[in-house]
Amino acid sequence: MSNTQPAPVASEHVELKARKVSFDWAETPLHWVPGDPFTTHTINVLHLLLPAGERWFVHVYKQALPYITDDRLRADVIGFIGQEAVHSQAHDDVLPHLREQGLDPTPYTAQVDWFFEKLLGDRTLPPGRPRRWWLMERVAMIAAIEHYTAFLGNWVLNADELDRVGADPTMLDLLRWHGAEEVEHRSVAFELFTHLDGGYRRRARTWALAFSALVFLWQRGVRFFMENDPTLLDGKASFGQFVRKGRQGVLPSTPDMLRSIPRYLSRAYHPSQEGDTAQAMAYLASSPGANGGH
Amino acid sequence: MPRFTTVALVAGAALLVRRAVRSRMTTAPLWPMPALDEPVSGYGRGSTVPRKVLVTSRAEPADGVVELRLEGDGLPAWRPGAHIDLVLPSGLVRQYSLCGDPADPATYTVATRLIETGQGGRGGSREVHEQLHEGVEIEIRGPRNRFPLVDSPAYVFVAGGIGITPVLPMLRAAEAAGADWRLVYCGRSRATMPYLAEIEALGRAGDRVTVVAEDESGRPDLGFLADVPAGTPVYCCGPDGLMDAVTAALPDGVAPRLERFSAAATTGGTAFDVELRRTGRTVRVAADQSVLAAVREEVPGLMYSCRQGFCGTCRQRVLEGEIDHRDELLTDAERDDSMLICVSRCAGKRLVLDL
Repeated sequence: MSNTQPAPVASEHVELKARKVSFDWAETPLHWVPGDPFTTHTINVLHLLLPAGERWFVHVYKQALPYITDDRLRADVIGFIGQEAVHSQAHDDVLPHLREQGLDPTPYTAQVDWFFEKLLGDRTLPPGRPRRWWLMERVAMIAAIEHYTAFLGNWVLNADELDRVGADPTMLDLLRWHGAEEVEHRSVAFELFTHLDGGYRRRARTWALAFSALVFLWQRGVRFFMENDPTLLDGKASFGQFVRKGRQGVLPSTPDMLRSIPRYLSRAYHPSQEGDTAQAMAYLASSPGANGGH
Repeated sequence: MPRFTTVALVAGAALLVRRAVRSRMTTAPLWPMPALDEPVSGYGRGSTVPRKVLVTSRAEPADGVVELRLEGDGLPAWRPGAHIDLVLPSGLVRQYSLCGDPADPATYTVATRLIETGQGGRGGSREVHEQLHEGVEIEIRGPRNRFPLVDSPAYVFVAGGIGITPVLPMLRAAEAAGADWRLVYCGRSRATMPYLAEIEALGRAGDRVTVVAEDESGRPDLGFLADVPAGTPVYCCGPDGLMDAVTAALPDGVAPRLERFSAAATTGGTAFDVELRRTGRTVRVAADQSVLAAVREEVPGLMYSCRQGFCGTCRQRVLEGEIDHRDELLTDAERDDSMLICVSRCAGKRLVLDL
């Protein structure tokens, strides 16, 4: 089925296991990147999208599991499911903290819940090809989304500028623990997709869908936060700000993001070619949140 | 020329759409997506956030017993019979029943008796007595309820010593609901029995409370339990000997509801059988083996990940049998009919899983 021979980098494979985490939000200020609400809220959109999104990953992958014929891949997918379940819980637990600080995310998250549970949820389809088609379509979408989570994970592990501007250590730890696990399991979604289908047309089509949905949801989320932030009189979000903050290094840079597009669409793409598992493992070994919260 | 018309039409349509969308988006930034009626995100379990409480007062309701009032923000509601885990400064985790008022949303009350090492103590109560003073902040987990008070017109309670703590809120609730209840409260001596005055005042009107202090009247006479009507729930919390005596004194077929605080073992226990209903097979779980490990031999491809009871991947539906929950994730409602098979075990001899 697959007409490509993407080459995995063998040394980048590790056994996947969920880690127990603990993050105490009591000391985290509303603008956890000091004096920079735009950057804070742009990253905060993660907390809006990931709880529902990662629950959806788990839901879809549980359905895909019976189709896997490779034992090592099945073990990877199961490890992936466990890690994603904990990610979803950890980001979900940030939302009550935002609510306590006067920024209730529910109007937005209720829509994201609808997006993943209804629009992208299970549909009443006849068994056989239509049902499998919808499952494969979603498996391919997850592979495309995971390209971006790995991209962001790799970015945040190297975003020294966030430390320099004094970003809240607990929030940085959450982002870097999550980012490191995304780097650690970055190949699983793509390998599952190639194992079950791997068609290039589906890969390109679902990439376009996932990318547009991410851009659409993200810009909405930032505008929602900026307009409802109780400490901002006239909060506005613009693409120009995003480009400037990317240049400063507190957000991913726009040219980097654009360059990642042809990489995913290249026929020789394999996620293990990007990111550094050793760096991710080193962070996980020292992360306060992933080591008992101390 | 038709090309030019097409381009002009598409451009015009795009402009119109852009105007329409932009004007709506500025008036309502969240237009135009439907929302889930009951949002899920943001109302999770809080399982990745440590819950901190402050010891705000410390009292001695009886000899050797310390009562702590713990205050915190957003403490979950609880019902009589619930307990919390205290994460002590040394890292030891101990379970204590909540004995305050469930209607007070900002305070939990627990009471602990000091158990010396010579009497089988394992250091938890000593740490509570010596280190938890006013102003100390500690982490708690829960509350959980393995000892819930069912609705009933009548109740029988038997409490031994510090075992009164989960029963006390039950007495208040039963009295408030106008139920017909009675309590046998035993202890070594009246001076060592906490909350005695309050309990006697509660039961005075209906002559509901029998206090049995061992130094005055010896062991309690549990003979009356043989005549407890079949539908009346019997609640017992206290030393193992008392709970065994209550179980023995009840008529055949009537089981008491017990609250046991044994060592919170995380691995191992006793051996038991697990029936896999859909597979049609029964597997033996050895004392030093997890349900997950035993079942995996029969059902390959089973889902699991953390193997420590926090990620929830291995959750399975339980059809029959009494579960010994040892996870840190599931809510009380979820615990009614499901378990995390990586850590939780069976409290009896047999479990039936929907597998």
